[in-house]
Amino acid sequence: MKAQTLRTLIIIALIVLWELLPRSGLVPELFLPSLSSTLIAGWTDAGEYGHALITTLYEVAIAMLFACGGGILLGAIVGSLPRPRILIMPIVSSLYAVPLVILYPVFTVWFGIGAESKIAFAAIYGFLPTMLATAAGIQTIDPQLLLAARSMGATMSQRLMRVVLPAAIPTVLSGLRVGGALVIVGVVVSEMLISSAGIGYLISRYRTVLDSPHVFAGVLLVLALAILFNAAIRLLERKAAIWQTGTRGAARDVASPALQPAT
Amino acid sequence: MQPLANVTPLNPLARAGAIEVRNVSQVFKTANQDVVALSDVSLDIRPGRFVVLVGPSGCGKSTLLMMMAGLQRPGSGTIRINGAPIEKPDPNRVGVVFQEASLFPWLTAEDNVEFPLALRGVAKTERRAKAEEALKLVGLEGFGKRHPHELSGGMKQRVSIARGLVQDPPVLLMDEPFAALDEQTRMTMGDELLRIWAATGKTVVFVTHSLTEAVYLADEVVVMSARPGRIVDTLQVQLPRPRTYDMLSGDTFGALRDRIWRHIRKSA
Repeated sequence: MKAQTLRTLIIIALIVLWELLPRSGLVPELFLPSLSSTLIAGWTDAGEYGHALITTLYEVAIAMLFACGGGILLGAIVGSLPRPRILIMPIVSSLYAVPLVILYPVFTVWFGIGAESKIAFAAIYGFLPTMLATAAGIQTIDPQLLLAARSMGATMSQRLMRVVLPAAIPTVLSGLRVGGALVIVGVVVSEMLISSAGIGYLISRYRTVLDSPHVFAGVLLVLALAILFNAAIRLLERKAAIWQTGTRGAARDVASPALQPAT
Repeated sequence: MQPLANVTPLNPLARAGAIEVRNVSQVFKTANQDVVALSDVSLDIRPGRFVVLVGPSGCGKSTLLMMMAGLQRPGSGTIRINGAPIEKPDPNRVGVVFQEASLFPWLTAEDNVEFPLALRGVAKTERRAKAEEALKLVGLEGFGKRHPHELSGGMKQRVSIARGLVQDPPVLLMDEPFAALDEQTRMTMGDELLRIWAATGKTVVFVTHSLTEAVYLADEVVVMSARPGRIVDTLQVQLPRPRTYDMLSGDTFGALRDRIWRHIRKSA
Protein backbone atom coordinates (compact mmCIF):
# COMPACT_ATOMS: atom_id res chain seq x y z
CA MET A 1 0.00 0.00 0.00
CA LYS A 2 1.23 3.48 -0.76
CA ALA A 3 2.27 5.65 2.15
CA GLN A 4 -0.16 8.36 1.11
CA THR A 5 -3.22 6.05 1.21
CA LEU A 6 -2.02 4.48 4.44
CA ARG A 7 -1.71 7.91 6.00
CA THR A 8 -5.23 8.84 4.88
CA LEU A 9 -6.54 5.60 6.36
CA ILE A 10 -4.87 6.25 9.70
CA ILE A 11 -6.37 9.73 9.85
CA ILE A 12 -9.84 8.35 8.98
CA ALA A 13 -9.45 5.65 11.62
CA LEU A 14 -8.54 8.26 14.25
CA ILE A 15 -11.56 10.36 13.36
CA VAL A 16 -13.87 7.34 13.54
CA LEU A 17 -12.37 6.31 16.89
CA TRP A 18 -12.81 9.82 18.18
CA GLU A 19 -16.52 9.53 17.45
CA LEU A 20 -17.03 5.93 18.56
CA LEU A 21 -14.97 5.64 21.77
CA PRO A 22 -16.83 8.33 23.75
CA ARG A 23 -20.21 7.30 22.29
CA SER A 24 -19.78 3.68 23.29
CA GLY A 25 -18.89 4.78 26.82
CA LEU A 26 -15.37 3.31 26.68
CA VAL A 27 -13.97 6.78 27.33
CA PRO A 28 -15.93 9.21 29.52
CA GLU A 29 -17.26 12.24 27.59
CA LEU A 30 -15.56 14.49 30.13
CA PHE A 31 -12.13 13.20 29.09
CA LEU A 32 -12.84 13.02 25.39
CA PRO A 33 -16.09 14.39 24.01
CA SER A 34 -17.16 12.80 20.73
CA LEU A 35 -16.21 14.57 17.52
CA SER A 36 -19.83 15.38 16.76
CA SER A 37 -20.50 17.02 20.13
CA THR A 38 -17.25 18.97 19.74
CA LEU A 39 -18.29 20.21 16.32
CA ILE A 40 -21.79 21.06 17.56
CA ALA A 41 -20.32 22.97 20.51
CA GLY A 42 -18.09 24.90 18.12
CA TRP A 43 -20.94 25.53 15.71
CA THR A 44 -23.44 26.81 18.29
CA ASP A 45 -20.88 29.30 19.58
CA ALA A 46 -19.32 30.01 16.20
CA GLY A 47 -19.49 33.74 16.86
CA GLU A 48 -17.47 33.46 20.02
CA TYR A 49 -14.87 31.22 18.38
CA GLY A 50 -14.70 33.43 15.32
CA HIS A 51 -14.03 36.41 17.50
CA ALA A 52 -11.34 34.54 19.41
CA LEU A 53 -9.80 33.31 16.16
CA ILE A 54 -9.49 36.85 14.84
CA THR A 55 -7.73 37.92 18.04
CA THR A 56 -5.36 34.95 17.87
CA LEU A 57 -4.69 35.36 14.14
CA TYR A 58 -3.92 39.01 14.64
CA GLU A 59 -1.42 38.23 17.39
CA VAL A 60 0.13 35.41 15.35
CA ALA A 61 0.48 37.59 12.27
CA ILE A 62 2.20 40.45 14.07
CA ALA A 63 4.42 38.12 16.09
CA MET A 64 5.32 36.20 12.91
CA LEU A 65 6.33 39.45 11.25
CA PHE A 66 8.71 40.28 14.09
CA ALA A 67 9.97 36.73 14.57
CA CYS A 68 10.60 35.94 10.90
CA GLY A 69 11.60 39.38 9.72
CA GLY A 70 13.93 39.95 12.65
CA GLY A 71 15.14 36.36 12.64
CA ILE A 72 16.09 36.43 8.97
CA LEU A 73 17.68 39.86 9.17
CA LEU A 74 19.74 39.16 12.27
CA GLY A 75 20.52 35.62 11.12
CA ALA A 76 21.86 37.02 7.86
CA ILE A 77 24.08 39.50 9.67
CA VAL A 78 25.33 37.00 12.24
CA GLY A 79 25.80 34.31 9.59
CA SER A 80 27.86 36.43 7.24
CA LEU A 81 30.08 38.30 9.67
CA PRO A 82 32.47 36.26 11.80
CA ARG A 83 32.78 38.68 14.73
CA PRO A 84 29.12 38.96 15.70
CA ARG A 85 28.86 35.24 15.13
CA ILE A 86 31.49 34.48 17.76
CA LEU A 87 29.90 36.93 20.18
CA ILE A 88 26.22 36.20 19.70
CA MET A 89 25.81 32.61 18.55
CA PRO A 90 26.69 30.86 21.83
CA ILE A 91 24.30 33.13 23.73
CA VAL A 92 21.47 32.57 21.27
CA SER A 93 22.04 28.83 21.16
CA SER A 94 21.90 28.46 24.93
CA LEU A 95 18.92 30.81 25.14
CA TYR A 96 17.16 28.48 22.73
CA ALA A 97 17.47 25.67 25.26
CA VAL A 98 15.82 27.70 28.04
CA PRO A 99 12.04 27.21 28.41
CA LEU A 100 11.16 30.81 27.60
CA VAL A 101 7.64 30.39 28.94
CA ILE A 102 9.04 31.13 32.40
CA LEU A 103 9.53 34.69 31.17
CA TYR A 104 5.90 35.15 30.27
CA PRO A 105 4.81 36.50 33.70
CA VAL A 106 7.50 39.15 33.30
CA PHE A 107 6.13 40.04 29.89
CA THR A 108 2.67 40.59 31.34
CA VAL A 109 4.18 42.98 33.83
CA TRP A 110 5.89 44.88 31.03
CA PHE A 111 3.17 44.79 28.38
CA GLY A 112 -0.06 44.08 30.27
CA ILE A 113 -2.38 41.14 29.68
CA GLY A 114 -3.60 42.30 26.26
CA ALA A 115 -2.35 41.37 22.80
CA GLU A 116 1.02 43.13 23.26
CA SER A 117 2.42 40.68 25.78
CA LYS A 118 1.35 37.72 23.58
CA ILE A 119 2.92 39.26 20.52
CA ALA A 120 6.14 40.04 22.36
CA PHE A 121 6.38 36.59 23.89
CA ALA A 122 5.52 34.67 20.70
CA ALA A 123 7.84 36.85 18.62
CA ILE A 124 10.80 36.01 20.84
CA TYR A 125 9.74 32.40 20.97
CA GLY A 126 9.74 32.08 17.16
CA PHE A 127 12.64 34.44 16.57
CA LEU A 128 15.38 32.18 17.91
CA PRO A 129 15.01 29.15 15.60
CA THR A 130 14.47 31.40 12.58
CA MET A 131 17.63 33.31 13.34
CA LEU A 132 19.67 30.20 14.06
CA ALA A 133 18.52 28.51 10.83
CA THR A 134 19.20 31.60 8.73
CA ALA A 135 22.66 32.04 10.23
CA ALA A 136 23.41 28.36 9.62
CA GLY A 137 22.07 28.60 6.07
CA ILE A 138 24.27 31.55 5.23
CA GLN A 139 27.31 29.96 6.82
CA THR A 140 26.95 26.76 4.82
CA ILE A 141 26.87 28.46 1.43
CA ASP A 142 29.43 26.87 -0.84
CA PRO A 143 32.36 29.36 -0.86
CA GLN A 144 33.13 28.14 -4.37
CA LEU A 145 29.90 29.77 -5.60
CA LEU A 146 30.96 33.10 -4.12
CA LEU A 147 34.42 32.76 -5.64
CA ALA A 148 32.89 31.99 -9.04
CA ALA A 149 30.63 35.03 -8.76
CA ARG A 150 33.64 37.17 -7.84
CA SER A 151 35.58 35.86 -10.84
CA MET A 152 32.71 37.06 -13.02
CA GLY A 153 33.06 40.55 -11.58
CA ALA A 154 30.16 40.48 -9.11
CA THR A 155 30.19 43.34 -6.63
CA MET A 156 29.56 42.82 -2.92
CA SER A 157 25.86 43.65 -3.21
CA GLN A 158 25.46 41.53 -6.34
CA ARG A 159 26.97 38.59 -4.49
CA LEU A 160 24.54 39.13 -1.61
CA MET A 161 21.44 39.49 -3.79
CA ARG A 162 22.22 36.96 -6.49
CA VAL A 163 24.16 34.29 -4.61
CA VAL A 164 23.84 34.46 -0.82
CA LEU A 165 20.08 35.04 -0.64
CA PRO A 166 18.95 32.41 -3.16
CA ALA A 167 21.44 29.90 -1.77
CA ALA A 168 20.14 30.43 1.77
CA ILE A 169 16.45 30.06 0.95
CA PRO A 170 16.04 26.34 1.76
CA THR A 171 17.53 26.67 5.24
CA VAL A 172 15.64 29.87 5.87
CA LEU A 173 12.40 28.09 4.94
CA SER A 174 13.08 25.23 7.32
CA GLY A 175 13.80 27.81 10.00
CA LEU A 176 10.54 29.55 9.20
CA ARG A 177 8.69 26.29 9.55
CA VAL A 178 9.95 25.76 13.07
CA GLY A 179 9.87 29.44 14.01
CA GLY A 180 6.36 29.96 12.67
CA ALA A 181 5.03 26.88 14.47
CA LEU A 182 6.57 28.18 17.69
CA VAL A 183 4.90 31.56 17.17
CA ILE A 184 1.53 29.80 17.08
CA VAL A 185 2.46 27.82 20.18
CA GLY A 186 3.67 30.96 21.92
CA VAL A 187 0.48 32.91 21.24
CA VAL A 188 -1.87 30.10 22.30
CA VAL A 189 0.11 29.20 25.41
CA SER A 190 0.32 32.81 26.58
CA GLU A 191 -3.40 33.22 25.94
CA MET A 192 -4.04 30.18 28.11
CA LEU A 193 -1.91 31.50 30.94
CA ILE A 194 -3.05 35.06 31.48
CA SER A 195 -5.42 36.84 29.12
CA SER A 196 -8.93 37.91 28.28
CA ALA A 197 -9.26 36.99 24.61
CA GLY A 198 -8.19 34.52 21.94
CA ILE A 199 -8.55 30.80 21.38
CA GLY A 200 -6.14 29.90 24.15
CA TYR A 201 -8.23 31.97 26.54
CA LEU A 202 -11.42 30.17 25.42
CA ILE A 203 -9.82 26.75 25.89
CA SER A 204 -8.63 27.72 29.34
CA ARG A 205 -11.97 29.24 30.37
CA TYR A 206 -14.08 26.28 29.24
CA ARG A 207 -11.67 23.94 30.99
CA THR A 208 -12.31 25.61 34.34
CA VAL A 209 -16.03 24.90 33.95
CA LEU A 210 -15.38 21.33 32.74
CA ASP A 211 -17.06 21.95 29.38
CA SER A 212 -15.05 19.40 27.39
CA PRO A 213 -16.80 19.80 23.99
CA HIS A 214 -16.03 23.52 23.99
CA VAL A 215 -12.43 22.88 25.09
CA PHE A 216 -11.93 20.47 22.23
CA ALA A 217 -13.57 22.82 19.74
CA GLY A 218 -10.83 25.30 20.62
CA VAL A 219 -8.17 22.60 20.33
CA LEU A 220 -9.46 21.68 16.86
CA LEU A 221 -9.20 25.30 15.79
CA VAL A 222 -5.57 25.56 16.92
CA LEU A 223 -4.83 22.28 15.17
CA ALA A 224 -6.34 23.61 11.94
CA LEU A 225 -4.27 26.76 12.26
CA ALA A 226 -1.03 24.81 12.66
CA ILE A 227 -1.83 22.47 9.78
CA LEU A 228 -2.67 25.38 7.49
CA PHE A 229 0.56 27.13 8.36
CA ASN A 230 2.56 23.99 7.72
CA ALA A 231 0.83 23.48 4.37
CA ALA A 232 1.67 27.05 3.37
CA ILE A 233 5.36 26.57 4.18
CA ARG A 234 5.38 23.25 2.38
CA LEU A 235 3.96 24.95 -0.70
CA LEU A 236 6.78 27.50 -0.55
CA GLU A 237 9.33 24.75 -0.12
CA ARG A 238 7.99 22.93 -3.14
CA LYS A 239 8.27 26.12 -5.17
CA ALA A 240 11.88 26.33 -4.05
CA ALA A 241 12.52 22.65 -4.72
CA ILE A 242 15.17 23.53 -7.27
CA TRP A 243 17.24 25.18 -4.54
CA GLN A 244 17.24 22.03 -2.53
CA THR A 245 18.53 19.68 -5.17
CA GLY A 246 21.98 19.88 -6.63
CA THR A 247 24.45 21.14 -4.06
CA ARG A 248 22.07 20.48 -1.21
CA GLY A 249 21.01 16.90 -1.65
CA ALA A 250 20.43 16.39 2.05
CA ALA A 251 17.99 19.26 2.39
CA ARG A 252 15.65 17.56 -0.04
CA ASP A 253 15.07 14.61 2.26
CA VAL A 254 14.22 16.89 5.15
CA ALA A 255 11.61 18.58 3.02
CA SER A 256 9.97 15.39 1.78
CA PRO A 257 6.49 15.08 3.22
CA ALA A 258 7.06 11.57 4.53
CA LEU A 259 9.47 12.84 7.18
CA GLN A 260 7.42 15.75 8.32
CA PRO A 261 5.92 15.89 11.77
CA ALA A 262 2.13 15.74 11.67
CA THR A 263 2.14 19.07 13.52
CA MET B 1 58.95 34.99 -29.52
CA GLN B 2 56.17 34.44 -31.97
CA PRO B 3 56.89 35.86 -35.42
CA LEU B 4 55.03 39.12 -35.81
CA ALA B 5 53.45 40.62 -38.86
CA ASN B 6 55.90 43.38 -39.73
CA VAL B 7 53.14 46.02 -39.71
CA THR B 8 52.55 45.43 -35.99
CA PRO B 9 54.89 47.49 -33.86
CA LEU B 10 53.27 46.24 -30.65
CA ASN B 11 55.04 44.14 -28.09
CA PRO B 12 53.54 40.65 -28.45
CA LEU B 13 52.97 40.61 -24.70
CA ALA B 14 50.55 43.51 -25.08
CA ARG B 15 48.35 41.65 -27.54
CA ALA B 16 44.97 40.23 -26.61
CA GLY B 17 45.42 36.96 -24.76
CA ALA B 18 49.06 37.48 -23.76
CA ILE B 19 49.90 36.77 -20.12
CA GLU B 20 53.00 38.15 -18.50
CA VAL B 21 53.97 37.00 -15.00
CA ARG B 22 56.90 38.97 -13.55
CA ASN B 23 58.75 38.03 -10.35
CA VAL B 24 55.64 36.97 -8.51
CA SER B 25 56.14 35.88 -4.91
CA GLN B 26 53.65 35.03 -2.23
CA VAL B 27 54.23 34.17 1.42
CA PHE B 28 51.46 32.82 3.63
CA LYS B 29 51.96 33.38 7.33
CA THR B 30 50.78 30.56 9.56
CA ALA B 31 50.97 30.28 13.34
CA ASN B 32 54.42 28.70 13.54
CA GLN B 33 56.06 29.49 10.22
CA ASP B 34 55.95 31.34 6.95
CA VAL B 35 55.12 29.23 3.92
CA VAL B 36 56.56 30.44 0.64
CA ALA B 37 53.75 29.60 -1.75
CA LEU B 38 55.39 31.21 -4.74
CA SER B 39 58.99 32.26 -5.06
CA ASP B 40 59.96 34.68 -7.81
CA VAL B 41 57.84 33.15 -10.56
CA SER B 42 58.13 34.62 -14.05
CA LEU B 43 56.30 33.29 -17.06
CA ASP B 44 55.35 34.56 -20.51
CA ILE B 45 52.40 33.04 -22.27
CA ARG B 46 51.85 33.98 -25.88
CA PRO B 47 48.34 34.57 -27.24
CA GLY B 48 46.43 31.50 -28.31
CA ARG B 49 48.69 29.02 -26.54
CA PHE B 50 47.48 26.09 -24.49
CA VAL B 51 49.65 26.08 -21.37
CA VAL B 52 49.33 23.50 -18.59
CA LEU B 53 50.64 24.02 -15.06
CA VAL B 54 51.59 20.84 -13.21
CA GLY B 55 53.33 20.15 -9.94
CA PRO B 56 52.91 18.46 -6.59
CA SER B 57 50.27 19.59 -4.11
CA GLY B 58 51.26 22.86 -2.50
CA CYS B 59 53.44 24.06 -5.36
CA GLY B 60 51.25 27.11 -5.76
CA LYS B 61 49.92 26.37 -9.24
CA SER B 62 46.34 27.08 -8.22
CA THR B 63 47.48 30.18 -6.33
CA LEU B 64 49.22 31.40 -9.47
CA LEU B 65 46.06 30.77 -11.49
CA MET B 66 43.91 32.63 -8.95
CA MET B 67 46.32 35.55 -9.24
CA MET B 68 45.97 35.55 -13.03
CA ALA B 69 42.20 35.62 -12.46
CA GLY B 70 42.55 38.67 -10.22
CA LEU B 71 41.03 36.71 -7.32
CA GLN B 72 44.22 37.00 -5.26
CA ARG B 73 46.80 39.75 -5.18
CA PRO B 74 50.42 38.67 -5.42
CA GLY B 75 52.56 39.54 -2.40
CA SER B 76 55.07 41.03 -4.82
CA GLY B 77 55.58 41.12 -8.57
CA THR B 78 53.09 41.84 -11.32
CA ILE B 79 50.77 39.98 -13.66
CA ARG B 80 49.72 41.59 -16.91
CA ILE B 81 47.09 40.37 -19.32
CA ASN B 82 46.75 42.06 -22.72
CA GLY B 83 49.63 44.24 -21.52
CA ALA B 84 47.67 45.74 -18.60
CA PRO B 85 48.07 44.73 -14.96
CA ILE B 86 45.34 42.54 -13.53
CA GLU B 87 44.35 43.77 -10.09
CA LYS B 88 40.81 42.52 -9.72
CA PRO B 89 38.61 40.05 -11.60
CA ASP B 90 38.03 41.31 -15.12
CA PRO B 91 35.59 39.07 -17.01
CA ASN B 92 36.29 40.95 -20.22
CA ARG B 93 39.87 39.74 -20.21
CA VAL B 94 39.66 36.48 -18.26
CA GLY B 95 37.12 33.69 -17.95
CA VAL B 96 37.57 31.20 -15.11
CA VAL B 97 36.48 27.55 -14.87
CA PHE B 98 36.73 25.91 -11.46
CA GLN B 99 37.20 22.30 -10.38
CA GLU B 100 33.66 21.92 -9.12
CA ALA B 101 31.46 23.25 -11.88
CA SER B 102 30.28 25.85 -9.31
CA LEU B 103 27.06 26.47 -11.18
CA PHE B 104 24.23 28.13 -9.30
CA PRO B 105 21.82 25.27 -8.59
CA TRP B 106 18.74 27.53 -8.62
CA LEU B 107 19.43 28.75 -12.16
CA THR B 108 18.94 26.88 -15.43
CA ALA B 109 21.96 26.14 -17.61
CA GLU B 110 21.30 29.17 -19.81
CA ASP B 111 20.69 31.45 -16.82
CA ASN B 112 23.99 30.25 -15.39
CA VAL B 113 25.77 31.06 -18.66
CA GLU B 114 24.04 34.45 -18.75
CA PHE B 115 25.00 35.24 -15.17
CA PRO B 116 28.16 37.28 -15.93
CA LEU B 117 26.24 39.25 -18.56
CA ALA B 118 23.36 39.84 -16.15
CA LEU B 119 25.84 41.26 -13.64
CA ARG B 120 26.80 43.89 -16.20
CA GLY B 121 23.18 44.67 -17.02
CA VAL B 122 23.19 43.34 -20.61
CA ALA B 123 19.67 43.27 -22.10
CA LYS B 124 17.76 40.01 -21.82
CA THR B 125 17.49 39.25 -25.54
CA GLU B 126 21.18 39.86 -26.15
CA ARG B 127 22.06 37.75 -23.12
CA ARG B 128 19.91 34.86 -24.30
CA ALA B 129 21.43 34.98 -27.79
CA LYS B 130 24.97 34.92 -26.42
CA ALA B 131 24.18 32.12 -23.97
CA GLU B 132 22.67 30.01 -26.75
CA GLU B 133 25.73 30.59 -28.87
CA ALA B 134 28.06 29.60 -26.01
CA LEU B 135 26.04 26.49 -25.16
CA LYS B 136 26.10 25.49 -28.82
CA LEU B 137 29.88 25.91 -28.86
CA VAL B 138 30.29 23.48 -25.94
CA GLY B 139 27.89 20.98 -27.51
CA LEU B 140 24.92 21.59 -25.23
CA GLU B 141 22.40 22.95 -27.71
CA GLY B 142 18.89 22.26 -26.41
CA PHE B 143 19.94 21.75 -22.80
CA GLY B 144 19.58 25.39 -21.77
CA LYS B 145 16.36 24.90 -19.81
CA ARG B 146 17.79 22.21 -17.55
CA HIS B 147 18.92 22.83 -14.01
CA PRO B 148 22.40 21.72 -12.93
CA HIS B 149 21.06 18.73 -10.98
CA GLU B 150 19.55 17.43 -14.21
CA LEU B 151 22.96 17.41 -15.92
CA SER B 152 25.83 14.92 -15.70
CA GLY B 153 29.23 15.92 -14.30
CA GLY B 154 30.68 16.39 -17.79
CA MET B 155 27.70 18.44 -18.94
CA LYS B 156 27.99 20.67 -15.88
CA GLN B 157 31.62 21.39 -16.75
CA ARG B 158 30.56 22.19 -20.32
CA VAL B 159 28.07 24.73 -18.95
CA SER B 160 30.85 26.09 -16.77
CA ILE B 161 33.12 26.46 -19.82
CA ALA B 162 30.29 28.14 -21.73
CA ARG B 163 29.92 30.56 -18.83
CA GLY B 164 33.65 31.27 -18.95
CA LEU B 165 33.48 31.98 -22.68
CA VAL B 166 30.22 33.92 -22.87
CA GLN B 167 31.88 37.33 -22.61
CA ASP B 168 34.43 36.26 -25.20
CA PRO B 169 37.52 36.97 -23.08
CA PRO B 170 40.87 36.29 -24.78
CA VAL B 171 42.04 34.17 -21.82
CA LEU B 172 40.43 31.11 -20.26
CA LEU B 173 41.83 29.93 -16.91
CA MET B 174 40.95 26.43 -15.77
CA ASP B 175 41.64 25.12 -12.27
CA GLU B 176 41.62 21.31 -12.42
CA PRO B 177 38.36 21.45 -14.32
CA PHE B 178 38.08 17.72 -14.96
CA ALA B 179 39.47 16.39 -11.68
CA ALA B 180 36.07 15.37 -10.36
CA LEU B 181 35.10 13.48 -13.52
CA ASP B 182 35.52 9.79 -14.22
CA GLU B 183 38.29 8.63 -16.57
CA GLN B 184 36.20 8.22 -19.73
CA THR B 185 34.36 11.53 -19.31
CA ARG B 186 37.70 13.14 -18.59
CA MET B 187 39.19 11.95 -21.90
CA THR B 188 36.12 13.05 -23.83
CA MET B 189 36.13 16.43 -22.13
CA GLY B 190 39.81 16.84 -22.97
CA ASP B 191 39.06 16.32 -26.66
CA GLU B 192 36.07 18.64 -26.41
CA LEU B 193 38.18 21.32 -24.79
CA LEU B 194 40.80 21.06 -27.54
CA ARG B 195 38.03 21.39 -30.14
CA ILE B 196 36.62 24.49 -28.40
CA TRP B 197 40.12 25.92 -28.02
CA ALA B 198 40.86 25.39 -31.72
CA ALA B 199 37.52 26.98 -32.66
CA THR B 200 37.95 30.07 -30.48
CA GLY B 201 41.70 30.67 -30.45
CA LYS B 202 41.72 31.53 -26.73
CA THR B 203 44.80 31.47 -24.57
CA VAL B 204 44.20 28.63 -22.12
CA VAL B 205 46.00 28.15 -18.81
CA PHE B 206 45.06 24.80 -17.36
CA VAL B 207 46.02 23.43 -13.94
CA THR B 208 46.00 19.67 -13.44
CA HIS B 209 47.43 16.84 -11.35
CA SER B 210 47.33 14.42 -14.26
CA LEU B 211 50.58 14.18 -16.22
CA THR B 212 48.85 12.36 -19.06
CA GLU B 213 46.23 15.07 -19.30
CA ALA B 214 48.98 17.71 -19.20
CA VAL B 215 50.96 16.29 -22.11
CA TYR B 216 47.86 15.37 -24.09
CA LEU B 217 46.38 18.87 -24.00
CA ALA B 218 49.33 21.24 -23.89
CA ASP B 219 51.46 23.21 -26.29
CA GLU B 220 53.63 23.88 -23.30
CA VAL B 221 53.82 22.24 -19.88
CA VAL B 222 55.11 24.36 -16.99
CA VAL B 223 56.38 22.17 -14.16
CA MET B 224 56.42 23.64 -10.66
CA SER B 225 57.95 22.41 -7.41
CA ALA B 226 56.70 22.82 -3.88
CA ARG B 227 58.10 24.76 -0.92
CA PRO B 228 59.06 27.14 -2.24
CA GLY B 229 56.68 27.11 -5.21
CA ARG B 230 58.68 27.92 -8.33
CA ILE B 231 59.01 26.91 -11.95
CA VAL B 232 61.54 24.10 -12.46
CA ASP B 233 61.01 23.28 -16.10
CA THR B 234 59.08 24.26 -19.21
CA LEU B 235 58.43 21.61 -21.84
CA GLN B 236 57.36 22.23 -25.42
CA VAL B 237 55.00 19.49 -26.54
CA GLN B 238 55.74 19.04 -30.24
CA LEU B 239 53.08 16.41 -30.86
CA PRO B 240 50.94 17.28 -33.90
CA ARG B 241 47.36 18.41 -33.61
CA PRO B 242 44.71 17.20 -33.48
CA ARG B 243 45.90 15.02 -30.66
CA THR B 244 44.69 11.44 -30.81
CA TYR B 245 44.36 8.63 -28.34
CA ASP B 246 47.14 6.63 -30.11
CA MET B 247 49.71 9.26 -29.18
CA LEU B 248 49.34 8.32 -25.52
CA SER B 249 51.33 5.12 -26.10
CA GLY B 250 53.97 6.74 -28.36
CA ASP B 251 57.63 7.31 -27.39
CA THR B 252 57.47 11.12 -27.55
CA PHE B 253 54.53 11.13 -25.19
CA GLY B 254 56.20 8.73 -22.78
CA ALA B 255 59.46 10.69 -22.74
CA LEU B 256 57.69 13.95 -21.94
CA ARG B 257 55.62 12.39 -19.21
CA ASP B 258 58.73 10.76 -17.67
CA ARG B 259 60.55 14.05 -17.64
CA ILE B 260 57.72 15.74 -15.78
CA TRP B 261 57.44 12.83 -13.37
CA ARG B 262 61.15 12.98 -12.49
CA HIS B 263 60.81 16.68 -11.58
CA ILE B 264 57.77 16.05 -9.45
CA ARG B 265 59.23 13.04 -7.65
CA LYS B 266 62.31 15.07 -6.82
CA SER B 267 60.38 17.92 -5.25
CA ALA B 268 57.54 16.04 -3.61
